[in-house]
Amino acid sequence: MKYFAGIDIGSTMTKVVIINNGIISSVIGPTGPEQRRLANKVMEEALNKAVLAFESINYIVATGYGRINVPFADKQVTEITCHAKGVANLFPEAKTVIDIGGQDSKGIKIDNGRPIDFVMNDKCAAGSGRFLEITADALGINIEEMGELALQSDNPAQISNICTIFAEQEVVNKLAEGIPLRDLVAGVLESLASRVSRMVKRLNVEETVVITGGVAKNAGLVKALSDKLGYHVSVPSEPLLTGAIGAALLGKDLVMKAEKDGQYLERKKRSLREIEIL
Amino acid sequence: MNKKNIDILSKVESYYSDYGQRARELKNEGKKIIGYACSLVPLEIITAAGCIPFRIRGDVHDPITKGDTNLETIACPFYRSCFDQSVKGKYDFLDGSVVAHGCDSMTRTYAVWQYTLDLSYSHFINLPHTLSKSSMEFFRAELNTFIKSLGRFTGKEISDDALAEAIGLYNENRDKVKALYEFRKPDPPTVSGTEITKILTVGSSLPVTEANNLFDKVLEELGQREESPFKKARRIMIDGACVDNIELVKLIEDLGANVVIDTLCNGTRDNLPHTETKGDPLSALADRYLDKINCPRTYRENKDQDLQKELESRFGDIGFYAREFNVDAAILYVYKYCDPFGFEVPARKSYFDSIKLPVLYLEDEYSTGTIGQLKTRIQAFLEMIQ
Amino acid sequence: MAEEKKKHKKRRTATKAAASIGPMVKAAIGGTIKAKEEGKKTAYSFIVCLYDEILRAMDIVPVWTENYAGVCGAKRDAERFLERAESLSFSRSLCTYALCGLGFDQWREELAEMPPDAPWGGQARPDMMLSSGQILCDPRNKWYQAAQQFMPDVPIHNVDLPYPFYEDDIHYSEVQDYYIKHIMEELRGLVAFLEKQTGTKMDYDRLRETVDLGERTWNLLHETYELRRAVPTPMGTGDAMNTMVPMAFMLGTQTAYDFYAELNKELKEKIARKEGVIENEKYRLLWGGGLPSWFALTDFNYFNSKGAVFPAETTYRMIQPIYNMYMPDTNDPIERLAWRWFGYWVYWYDQARKRPGSHPDVEWLIQYIEDYQIEGVVMHEAFSCRTWHLGLIWQLNQLAKIYKPIPVLMLGKDGSEKKSNRELPSLVLESDIIDITTYSEIDTRNRIDAFIETLESVKQSKTN
Repeated sequence: MKYFAGIDIGSTMTKVVIINNGIISSVIGPTGPEQRRLANKVMEEALNKAVLAFESINYIVATGYGRINVPFADKQVTEITCHAKGVANLFPEAKTVIDIGGQDSKGIKIDNGRPIDFVMNDKCAAGSGRFLEITADALGINIEEMGELALQSDNPAQISNICTIFAEQEVVNKLAEGIPLRDLVAGVLESLASRVSRMVKRLNVEETVVITGGVAKNAGLVKALSDKLGYHVSVPSEPLLTGAIGAALLGKDLVMKAEKDGQYLERKKRSLREIEIL
Repeated sequence: MNKKNIDILSKVESYYSDYGQRARELKNEGKKIIGYACSLVPLEIITAAGCIPFRIRGDVHDPITKGDTNLETIACPFYRSCFDQSVKGKYDFLDGSVVAHGCDSMTRTYAVWQYTLDLSYSHFINLPHTLSKSSMEFFRAELNTFIKSLGRFTGKEISDDALAEAIGLYNENRDKVKALYEFRKPDPPTVSGTEITKILTVGSSLPVTEANNLFDKVLEELGQREESPFKKARRIMIDGACVDNIELVKLIEDLGANVVIDTLCNGTRDNLPHTETKGDPLSALADRYLDKINCPRTYRENKDQDLQKELESRFGDIGFYAREFNVDAAILYVYKYCDPFGFEVPARKSYFDSIKLPVLYLEDEYSTGTIGQLKTRIQAFLEMIQ
Repeated sequence: MAEEKKKHKKRRTATKAAASIGPMVKAAIGGTIKAKEEGKKTAYSFIVCLYDEILRAMDIVPVWTENYAGVCGAKRDAERFLERAESLSFSRSLCTYALCGLGFDQWREELAEMPPDAPWGGQARPDMMLSSGQILCDPRNKWYQAAQQFMPDVPIHNVDLPYPFYEDDIHYSEVQDYYIKHIMEELRGLVAFLEKQTGTKMDYDRLRETVDLGERTWNLLHETYELRRAVPTPMGTGDAMNTMVPMAFMLGTQTAYDFYAELNKELKEKIARKEGVIENEKYRLLWGGGLPSWFALTDFNYFNSKGAVFPAETTYRMIQPIYNMYMPDTNDPIERLAWRWFGYWVYWYDQARKRPGSHPDVEWLIQYIEDYQIEGVVMHEAFSCRTWHLGLIWQLNQLAKIYKPIPVLMLGKDGSEKKSNRELPSLVLESDIIDITTYSEIDTRNRIDAFIETLESVKQSKTN
């Protein structure tokens, strides 16, 4: 029995997935400043859940913004390649992937599980989950409430500012002017959806369109994005895990290919305990 | 390995990291140093006048601060950095600066340079945009104005002989660069993109005779490399404007690819075209700087209204180098706020598609602060083209 | 979107002339769309490119692409075109006039008809495109070339129009011969191209008349704008952003001349009645540089509400009196055009040499400050336009260095009051010409408020 692990260290969340023929275990935890220690911790949790020892894993692939901080990973692959792989596995008909994370957003065109083109916005908070966090805070609500609230609105407010800081000012002002909360929230989601779709349109968007990342759980955002793109947007049941799933699958591919070629892929580390945290 | 030649590469390193040290020495010996930041400035004329042309660089490691008090942030970030470094005194050995009509960022800020830096000599060379017969005549007259002006500054008229000699020296210089590039043709290349970038950057800070000397020694050293110190990997071409430091090339090479050729200002665009030695030297210079140098700021007419032909006439040099150097993929690297390249991105991308070369388009600032973002994109691109 | 448009306050203009511009532009745009039916050729054109009279003399209908983008911007309906351009890989940092136009053109070509709900009927597909390589602006050199990718059958002609820069050691008279020669050659090349496109020959008598009309329009416009020196001023920059239309888009037509004759009359009548832009004129400001935010022209009304008016601006005042320029004794309209171009760009050079530390751009500001009794200078930095916005900060700094006209009493260290001179207060506003997402009304108004307070405080501390 072969086991493969994928670890995706995002700016806000760290995700680990262990697979063989399906997912054996998965863990999602918040990323903190000490990424190496956290990577270890989340890996251990996933191993415990799967009732597996570290040595039983055949290959570990790390991805995400913090991928260089995973000393026990056998290979680092960018999240673009991993999300492509992960989504294609869950949605074989997928051609366009949109990932909206805590601090960035990406659009990926895929073909046969491989990326063929991509766009990224990692320079501006207003195109990421951070925009929702800040505006939710300014409006005095929980970010998880945003989706449902927005869906109740049939008159989204127009947020004209693209800078998160100015937009924050703007929503507070509008709230004071008496604009209903649901309309403001819908406006905020539309604003984010607008920016993301603007970026994604640089690719030649084709169906099936799949969204990943934490923000995918926000039904209001998904609807707004759908409207802006003019395509239905599919949501995986666990949208945070596609990167880690893809990473694990890539590890599996590498090991299988090596076997066919009569080779054996060495693991980088024999045990988690070996790693000294400084 | 020849010890003398190990020294030459350490000399290159030293001139690269302490950029301008030789110019400072020459200044102390009483030479006049003239700064420039664009490939369209005719170095032959500056050299013929007995002055030393010095290529002004920015500094990707040094955030722009002082420069912003007099120059808007909507200018080309590379040019802003050059200005910032100048204002910070990095190039206080300059006697003058010459600006060419390259792009809005340098043209519309000429007064800012003139007045802020307060150098003894300042001149603007107005290259025309079109390639008509009248344009060439006009440009020749402009070059003549420059010659007279520089002659007044040095107190000595520039002679025809001096001009012919300078043209000869620069043609030699270009032959040597071509020879350096030959070492990039094998697979894997015998010299890395990082090394070439350093060597050429250093060359642009020296008088042409010293640069020629340096290149000779480097060629000798490279000739000693029996086998390549590098691994076989994807062969990458960089297309873009001024990349005056190693950070981008080094990043690509650290990610496991080989940068084997370029169409950059500090690379082939600047360094390979020759000046015709037959006939009138000023006309030959006008022809070299306006036509032979293939820069987007010069308008190339679409005579046949055939899109494919037009792309070929505008970007044919890219295709030529891609074939000569057996390129697998290209990176189109453009600064934010760059008009000449910015307007051409879709056309350039079309051209890369037409020659079936995968291309990654990167829009960047001029700062090492974006390295993390570049790394993800370049790594994803390299993963894509496996 | 519709909600927002309704809430957007209507702009107020000070003159009837300015108010009449909207319909004029709409009709002109409609004219470009009808041109084909009427058997006329259309040409994508840029303003300030010296070819206005040449086009008019050949009955070629100019399609002013910058103007159309301005219209989309003013109607706050440019975003979808900007987005489209971005989706084609054009950087958002490029000239937003061009992004708007490129996005619009690609869409129109893809649909083979105008994009849905195109503002004022849309931008007509041209028969030719007239680029202009100049020192003025890179987009004038690259924009239409980029558009040609979507319209490969539309030919481009690029007319090169240089002017000499201001140098310490060179007087423009040393280079004028070869500059004029080249400009004239380029204009003749343009005429040859147009003759080929239209299949007709240029009627030089007609061109002579048209150029003469153009020159008279320049002189009339100069005299008309000079009327704004009056206190209170009868017209501000807000209006001027409208009244520039005939000069920029209709030069060489009787309509343009008549428009300025009307405006001249209207201003004289207002001055006779002592009627200013506002009743209580407190602060006279100079719009020292920068294209306006077409979607926020109501900001001028906001200035007005604080008692501030703009008797003068440099933006879009692209004329100088011909009678103050060198013009050779010639009947050749091409030669006259070339000298007019040259004379306009070197207009302030000789004056600048007379004042230490000055520069033509700064000298222009000083002249207006003195002529129009200006108390403060406003600059607008539009992020996507390097042409008109690089150097504005430096101009303000240099102006402050060499020109300190306001006498104030400063408290010295020993407690005594000392007479000193200070520079004019200045304000820098930041956003863009078309891209409304860069504009923060709250921030802009805050800055204006703070500036008004500065103006007031300087006024209070002013001595005689």
